[in-house]
Amino acid sequence: MNLVNDILAHVNFIGAMALFVIGLYMVVTHSNLIKRIMGINIMGTAIFYFFIAVGNVEDGAPPLLDPDGNALTFINPLPSVLILTGIVVVVSITVYSLSLVVRIYETYGTIDQKEMAQIEAEDDD
Amino acid sequence: MNDIIVKSITRLVIPFLQLYGIYIILHGHISPGGGFSGGALIGSSLILYTLVFGVDRAQKKFSHRVSEIAESGGILLYLFVGALGIALTGNFLSNKAAGFPLGELGSLLSGGIIPVLMIGIGIKVASTMITLFHVLIQEESQ
Amino acid sequence: MIEQLPIINLILLLTTALVIPLFKKQRFMVTLILSFVVLFIVWLSALYLLYHVNTTGAFYYRFGGYSPTIGLELLINPFSALFTFFVITLLMIIFIYSTADASDGIHEREYGRYYILMFILLFAMFGIIYTNDLFNTYVFMEILSITTCAIISIKRKKKNYAAAFRYVMLNEMGSLSYLFGVALLYMVTGYTNIELVFQGVQDVWVIYPTNIIIAAIFMIVGLGLKAAIFPLHIWLPDAHSAAPSSSSAILSAIVVKVYLIILVKVLFSVFGITIIEALHIPSLLMVIGAVGIVMGSFFAIAQHDIKRMLGYSSVAQIGYIVLGIGLASSLGLRIAFYHVFSHGIMKSVLFLSVGAVIYQRNLRKVTAYNGIGYMMPLSIGMFTLAALGMIGIPLTSGFISKFNLGIAALDGGQGIYIIILVVSGILNAIYYLPIIIAAFLRENPENQIYVSKDKVPLLMIMPILILGAFIVIIGVYPAIIFDLVDSAVSTFSF
Repeated sequence: MNLVNDILAHVNFIGAMALFVIGLYMVVTHSNLIKRIMGINIMGTAIFYFFIAVGNVEDGAPPLLDPDGNALTFINPLPSVLILTGIVVVVSITVYSLSLVVRIYETYGTIDQKEMAQIEAEDDD
Repeated sequence: MNDIIVKSITRLVIPFLQLYGIYIILHGHISPGGGFSGGALIGSSLILYTLVFGVDRAQKKFSHRVSEIAESGGILLYLFVGALGIALTGNFLSNKAAGFPLGELGSLLSGGIIPVLMIGIGIKVASTMITLFHVLIQEESQ
Repeated sequence: MIEQLPIINLILLLTTALVIPLFKKQRFMVTLILSFVVLFIVWLSALYLLYHVNTTGAFYYRFGGYSPTIGLELLINPFSALFTFFVITLLMIIFIYSTADASDGIHEREYGRYYILMFILLFAMFGIIYTNDLFNTYVFMEILSITTCAIISIKRKKKNYAAAFRYVMLNEMGSLSYLFGVALLYMVTGYTNIELVFQGVQDVWVIYPTNIIIAAIFMIVGLGLKAAIFPLHIWLPDAHSAAPSSSSAILSAIVVKVYLIILVKVLFSVFGITIIEALHIPSLLMVIGAVGIVMGSFFAIAQHDIKRMLGYSSVAQIGYIVLGIGLASSLGLRIAFYHVFSHGIMKSVLFLSVGAVIYQRNLRKVTAYNGIGYMMPLSIGMFTLAALGMIGIPLTSGFISKFNLGIAALDGGQGIYIIILVVSGILNAIYYLPIIIAAFLRENPENQIYVSKDKVPLLMIMPILILGAFIVIIGVYPAIIFDLVDSAVSTFSF
């Protein structure tokens, strides 16, 4: 029972770690370039999830000052702000690598890493 | 896409999308949201337009020249406002310390330089999103 | 006003990148002159900052005047001032070279864009070195890696796209690992400011060791991927050999070093010497560095393309720096920093002189260098000088690095690494000497046929000569560099 409670209490962190590993597995093992980009996105999402989970406060309100002057329990706004920047970065990386994939498809005629390696080996001969 | 339903619904939805985006940008300092979320909304409305009506018509509405100016302009606005902080004593991006009026808590005209910065970010994000999408699509059609 | 200089540098670099597209219609000369003026102004201010921090001491720059617990902070101390000065000096010299050799495979429409990328690259590197915030480092790191990839893929060739894709994937894995480490540290300390994190980490080290161990592993592996430390180097030779010559020099001599600088910051300013010693990271780094030195040289011997060979040689030289960092003493760090300078200069000379050969004769095969020394005496002469430096012949800066690294290893009780240094000198000689001998002693009249340009422009020769002179100057009077390096090392506590 203790173990179950432990898992339930940290489910966010375990989930983030699992997502990170899934993403890493995709990037490393898949030979399809688009799937590798997806893997990067999953890895990024895992970290954003982790950051937000760190900043979360039980029953917290959005971090805005109340005009009526009530003192509220805020969630920690800093991780959210950091993650916003992180999202922008991952979006730009995704777009850049997708445009590279378009170019690779034009020049190689394939988006498979193994076939690309084959074509490169033939070019060298 | 030559579907009449898609076309008419798009025509109907786009103004609301853009209005909502502008609302979010302008209320960035007093409610959740801000330059990035609002800019992304406006950008995606233009992406929707491109998807439905094609790149050529979208280019007429929002050409490369305009998006280039908007992109540089967004950052330059941000940098300029930030540099005002240096000029008026204090540091880069100083807000209250540089003497900008903070206004009343909760009203639209408050927060010193933050709304201005949000507008800069909104312009930048919207124009960048649409440029990226156009570049990707045109590369494919070349 | 002096306090504003760092931010003015950053703004100046960013605005120049934004302004260059506006000169698209004007003649290209306008862009070049504007770029040079901006680079020169930034160089002057970096020089002044270096002087200022070494005489009156370090200072902080806080964005918007917020306290470091919630705001961003730049830290200008002898360490950051020294490395920004190094980056801008080397980049300015390479910039002069690139004005004449931009034709290396770049489309004419893309010239302007190349300089935009160069300024954003410089902006990101300045940001990384100045900043005193872990998350801010991540953001600048990503700007740096996107720009680097764009520079690699700017040549419209098959191989460049494949190399850039591999680079972007591995780099992104590296930065995301780093970010995960930052998240884990944020979880236990609640800050991203480096000094506050340092305090926090020392306090919670006893309570949450797991978090800190995992964070350390993630951050070091991530940065190792980006800095091409030995087993994680596979992207480097492809990427550096595919890029245009002047940017190969920038990537190999400067960009990789910036990641090593972050590694130094993370190890000694974020975790602190007590924790990394407890985790046995220094001894691990030393072994990795030593293996990298030997294996990098072995791979380099097997290469046929000269730029790939130089890329593998960079892997070996990064091993020296990692070995110096791994000694985890002020003596070791001092020599690691010195080698950042010495390798930066030598590798730029090698890439630029090879670039001159490619410019005039389009020769990339190692075997094709027969007899070329008499046709291009200046370029190949400087190539020889830098290669001798790499091998570690006295009177060059490479000798000073190796000699002092050996002393530092002995001082740390790690005498075994002296053997590695000697072996690596021999291995370096095995792949550099045949080129030099072939270039000066073998006859090969066929090379005359390949001449595609009559003369190498003076603007290309001058930077090579200047950098070549530096190799000898800091090899004969190493004290010039050591004085500055010592005050940079003193900002870390051991």
